[in-house]
Amino acid sequence: MRAGDSRALEELYDRHNGLLYSVVLRIVRRPADAEEVLQEAWLQIWKGAGTYSEARGTVGAWLVTVARSRAIDRIRSEGSRQRAEEAAGADPPPQPTEDASANAAHRQMSERVGRALDKLGPQHRQVLELAYYGGLTQGEIAERLSAPLGTVKSWTRQALVRLSELVPQEDWT
Amino acid sequence: MSQHREEHIELCSGYVLGNLSDTELAELEGHLKEGCGACETEIHRLARGVWAFAGATPRLLEPAALRLKVLETIKEDGRDRSREGKKSDAKRDMRRAAPIPLPRRRGVPVFGWISAVAAILIALAGYTQYREATRLQHELGAARQEISRLTQELDSERQWTAVATAPQTRVVELALTKDAAKAGATQLHARVTYDPSTRQAIVSVTDFVPPSGKDFQLWAITKSGPSSLGLVRADREGRAMIRLENAGDPFTLAAFAVSLENEGGAPTTTAPAGPVVMVGKIGT
Repeated sequence: MRAGDSRALEELYDRHNGLLYSVVLRIVRRPADAEEVLQEAWLQIWKGAGTYSEARGTVGAWLVTVARSRAIDRIRSEGSRQRAEEAAGADPPPQPTEDASANAAHRQMSERVGRALDKLGPQHRQVLELAYYGGLTQGEIAERLSAPLGTVKSWTRQALVRLSELVPQEDWT
Repeated sequence: MSQHREEHIELCSGYVLGNLSDTELAELEGHLKEGCGACETEIHRLARGVWAFAGATPRLLEPAALRLKVLETIKEDGRDRSREGKKSDAKRDMRRAAPIPLPRRRGVPVFGWISAVAAILIALAGYTQYREATRLQHELGAARQEISRLTQELDSERQWTAVATAPQTRVVELALTKDAAKAGATQLHARVTYDPSTRQAIVSVTDFVPPSGKDFQLWAITKSGPSSLGLVRADREGRAMIRLENAGDPFTLAAFAVSLENEGGAPTTTAPAGPVVMVGKIGT
C-alpha cells in the first residue's frame, strides 16, 4: 500500500473495516457520521501508509487508532461532550444489526476481555469505556465518577495491563 | 536526559488511550524523546491492552455501500493528485515556451571581477560551513536514535537475564508423550525457564522440525484447562528460543505442553486439536 497499490488497500479494508465501523459507530452514534468519519480515516490511511511502523504494533491496531482518533475529533469538534459521554456509557445504537458473520476468534476475544474486566470490577470497565469510546480525559473521568484522579489512573493501568495479557507478544509485532 | 520517575509510568496508560492533558502529554513526550526504555516497554504493553479492548467491541454490520464510497474517495484523491501533477507540468512547459528576456551584456571592469570572485569565495566558505553543520546535526540525531535503541535493547536484555537467573525461577524439561511416537515426533527437546514472580518465560527448543503442513503449538496447562501460548516456529535446524511476556498465573499454572497441529495452529486457543507430544510439570 505504501507504493500506492489500491488493491492492497481493498484487502486491508475487507479485513479490518468491520471492526473500524463498529468502533467508530460506538463513538459517533450516528451511522451517517460513522460513514463520513471512515471515509476520512481511510483517506488518511491511504495517504499516510508510510507513517506506519511494524515495531509499534499490528496493522489492525494502527488502522483502529487512526479511525478512532478521527471519530473522537468529530465528537469533540461538534462540541457535544454529552454525546461523547453517552457513547461511552450506552449500548451501541440499535439501528445497525449485529454482524452475525463476526468470526469465532472475535467472539472468543470479546468473551475473554469481558471475563478479564469482570474479574477486576465494574469501575475498570467504566474508565476504559469513558476514555476509549467517550474520548474523556482522565481528569474528566475522575470528575464524572467522583473518584480521585490517582485512582482513575490506577484503574486504567490495571485494566490495560490485564487486557495486554490476552494479546501474546508474538501476535503483536 | 530527564530522570525517569514513577509518574512517567502512570502517564503511559493515558498516552496509549490519547486522554492525557496537554501538560501531561508534553511532559511524557519530552521524556520519551530523550529515550526511556522502561516507558517504551510500558507503552508497548499497554497498547496491546487497548488493542484487546478495541477488538472486543461488539461487531455491527456496516452498510454495503460504504465500501464503494471509501474506495471512490481514494480513487478521486488519486485523480486530483494526477490533475495537480499535470497542471504543474503545464506551468513548467509555459516557462520553457516563454523564457524571461535577459538584459543586454555590458563590459565588467577589473575591480568588478575582483569583487565578484571575493563574493563567490565568501559564499562558498559559508555554504561549506552550512553543509558541515547540517551533516553534523544529522549525525548527532542518528547517534541519539541509536543510543535510545540500544538503551531499550539493554533494558530488555537485563529483564530477560533476570528471568533466567532469578532464585525463584523454575526450569521445566518437557518429556515426550506416548502420542509423540504415533505422531512421528520422537526427537524433540524443549525446556521452559519460568519466573513465577513476573510470569515471564524463556522457551528453548531443538529438533523442532514439524512434518509438512503441520505446526508445533505451545500450551500452558492451568487448573481451568489449556491455554495457547502460541506456535513454535523454529529455524531450519529446528532450534528456537522464544520469550513469553506472560506464560501464566503461577497459582493456576501446572504444566507446559506441546501439541502437533495443522498449519496455523488449533482452531481455538483453549484446547489442542492435534496430539499432545510433550509435557512438563512445573515443580515446586
